[in-house]
Amino acid sequence: MKTILVKTLTAFCLIFSVYLMDVQTVMAHGEKALEPFIRMRTIQWYDVHWSKQAFNVNEEISVSGKFHVAEDWPIGVPKPEASFLNISTPGPVLIRTERYLNGKPWTNSVALEPGGDYDFKVVLKGRLPGRYHIHPFFNLKDAGQVMGPGVWLDIAGDASDFSNSAKIINGEMIDMESYGFANGVLWHAFWGILATAWLLWWVRRPLFISRYRMLEAGMEDELITPQDKLIAKSAMVAIPVMVLAFNAMANNDHPNTIPLQASLDQILPLPAKVNAGIVNVDTLKAEYRVAERAMKFDLKIDNQSNAPLHIGEFSTANVYFLNKDLPVAHQDLSGSSTVSEEGMSLDNNDAIKPGEQRTLTMIVKDGLWESEKLDGLIRDADSRIGGLLFLYDLTGKRYISSITAAVIPKFD
Amino acid sequence: MMSANISNRSFRPYTGEKARISRAYDYLILVLALFLFIGAFHLHFALTVGDWDFWVDWKDRQYWPLVTPLMGITFPAAVQYVMWNKFRLPMGATLCVAALLIGTWITRVFAYHYWNFFPINMVLPATMLPGALVLDFILMLSNSLTITAIFGGAAFALLFYPTNWPIFGLFHVPVEQGNGQVTVADLFGFQYIRTGMPEYLRIIERGTLRTYGQYATPLSAFASALLCSLMYTLWWYIGKWFSTVRYLNKI
Ligand SMILES: [Cu+2]
Repeated sequence: MKTILVKTLTAFCLIFSVYLMDVQTVMAHGEKALEPFIRMRTIQWYDVHWSKQAFNVNEEISVSGKFHVAEDWPIGVPKPEASFLNISTPGPVLIRTERYLNGKPWTNSVALEPGGDYDFKVVLKGRLPGRYHIHPFFNLKDAGQVMGPGVWLDIAGDASDFSNSAKIINGEMIDMESYGFANGVLWHAFWGILATAWLLWWVRRPLFISRYRMLEAGMEDELITPQDKLIAKSAMVAIPVMVLAFNAMANNDHPNTIPLQASLDQILPLPAKVNAGIVNVDTLKAEYRVAERAMKFDLKIDNQSNAPLHIGEFSTANVYFLNKDLPVAHQDLSGSSTVSEEGMSLDNNDAIKPGEQRTLTMIVKDGLWESEKLDGLIRDADSRIGGLLFLYDLTGKRYISSITAAVIPKFD
Repeated sequence: MMSANISNRSFRPYTGEKARISRAYDYLILVLALFLFIGAFHLHFALTVGDWDFWVDWKDRQYWPLVTPLMGITFPAAVQYVMWNKFRLPMGATLCVAALLIGTWITRVFAYHYWNFFPINMVLPATMLPGALVLDFILMLSNSLTITAIFGGAAFALLFYPTNWPIFGLFHVPVEQGNGQVTVADLFGFQYIRTGMPEYLRIIERGTLRTYGQYATPLSAFASALLCSLMYTLWWYIGKWFSTVRYLNKI
C-alpha cells in the first residue's frame, strides 16, 4: 500500500510540473537573457513607435519600426534563415490581426539578409484589460529571442467586449473564440460515453483480488462470458465502421479543406538605409573602461554627403546614448527602452564638412552598460560590439551607420 | 489441465465480510490507478507528443498521425499486460486513454484557457478512445500478444486520423490572410500570440513523406501502424517487467 501511495504522490507532483512547464514556455520574457554580442549584432532596432499605448478592449493599435540586420552577424549564431517577428505578451492579451514587412503582408516566417534594411508594422487588437509590459521581438531560429524596445500598454474596458470573426473562403463568417468548440466537445463526449460504458461493464463485477484468485485457480473461462465476447465482437466491427462513417460525414461537410500552410514568406530587404554609402564610418578601436563604465571608440568618419554633419546618437541593444550638443533636435525616442540623455561625449564636436575625413574619439559612458548587462561583453567568447551611429545635417536629415569593433577591456 | 481441475474444485469464493473488503480494495486500486495514469501517462504524453497535441496549428496530416498513436500506445500496452495477464480484465487501454483525456482536459481548461488566456478551441485535445477500445477487444478475443501487437497496434494507428477528422477537419477550411490562403488553424497560430512558439518551430509538413503529395496521411498512418506494433510489444514487456502481484499474494 505504501508503494502505491508514494507512486500516487509522485504522480501528483509530475502533473503539477507539467502545468509549470506549460506556463514557463508561455511566460518566458528573457529581455536581457541573451549574450550582449547577440543583442548588439543581430537585429538592430530603431524608430519603433506605438500608435497608442492606452486603448480599449477590441480596439486596434499598431507598432511600427525599422531594423537593420547587422553585417557583422556573430559566427556563433545561426544565420536568420527563418525569423518571426513576435510580441512579448503574457499570453494572448492582444491578438495580432495583421503584420507587414517592408509594406508586404507577412504571415509566416521569413529569411532575413545580414546587411539588409527592413521596416515593419504589426496591427494588434486588445483582448484582455490590464497593464502589460510589452516588446516587439524577433524569434530567430536556433538563436533565441532578440528584444526590441519595451513599453507599457494599458488596455481598458471589459473582456466581454472582445470579438474576433474571420471570413472563411466560402464567404461564411466564423467566431474565432468559439469556432469548432461545441463540435469538439460533442465528439469527445460521444467516445467518452462509449468508453465509460465499456469500463463500467467490467467495474460492476468483483475485480482485482477475486479475479486474480480465480485466474490462479485455473478458472479462466468463467472470467470472460460468452456475452462479453459477443459485445466485444460486435463493437470491434461497429467502432471502426462508425469512425469511417463519421470521417466521411466530416469530409462531406467540409469538402474544400487544405493542409496547414508552412511556407516561408519571401520578402527582400529595402534599398540600403543604413550604411548607404554616403557617410562611411570605420571603427578603428573600441575600449571598455570597466571602472568608469565607458566605451571609448576611435572612429574614422568619411563624409561623402554635401552637407556638414554632426554625430547625434549611438544606440546598441536598444540603449541610446545622446550627444547633448547636437545642434538639431534628436530623433523621437519615446518608444525606446532606455535613453542616456548625456551619455555621449566627443573630442571634437565641430561639424564634419562635406568631403572631410576625420578621425575622432567618441566616449559613451553610463551606468546602463552595467544595468542593461551589456558589459558582460568583455567576458564573452565573442567580444565584438555592434551598434548604430546616427549623424545629422543641419536640416535634420539623418545618416545611419552600423558600426562594429572588437572590444579591449581596461580594468583599472 | 489436470492441475487446473484440481485447484478449480478446491476454489472457494470470498463471502460476507471478506467479499466486502475485497470489493473495497477493488475501488481503492481503481481510483489510485486512475490517478496514477492521469499523472504519469499525461506527463509522458505532454513530453513526447507535446505541441502536436497542444495546438490546433500543429495537427498536420503527416507528423501528427505518425507521432500521436506511436506515443499513445505505450502506457496502454503496459497496462493491458497487467490488467489482462493478472486479472483477465480487457480494459487496460481504454482506462489509460480515458485517464489521459481527463488529465489533458484539465490542463487545457485550467492551464491554457484560464491561466494563459488561449481560446479553448485553439487547444482542443485529440482522442484515441476508439483505437483503445478496439485494442482491448482484440486482446480479449485473441488472448495473444502477437495478434494484439500486429492487428491491435495497426488499428490503433489507422483509426487515429479518421477519429479526429470530425473534430479538427473544420479547422482546415481556408481563409484569406495577407494575400495568401491559410487554414483557420494557421490563423489561430498567427493571431493568438505565443511568445515561445514562433511559426517556424512547428514540425509539420516537412520531409520525405510529403513527396507523395495527397497521400501523405495514409502513408503516415501506415508507417505509424508498423511502428505501433513494435512499440506495443516493447511496452508490453515493460509492463511485464514492472508488474508485480506481490501485494496481492499477501492478502
Ligand atoms: Cu521588458
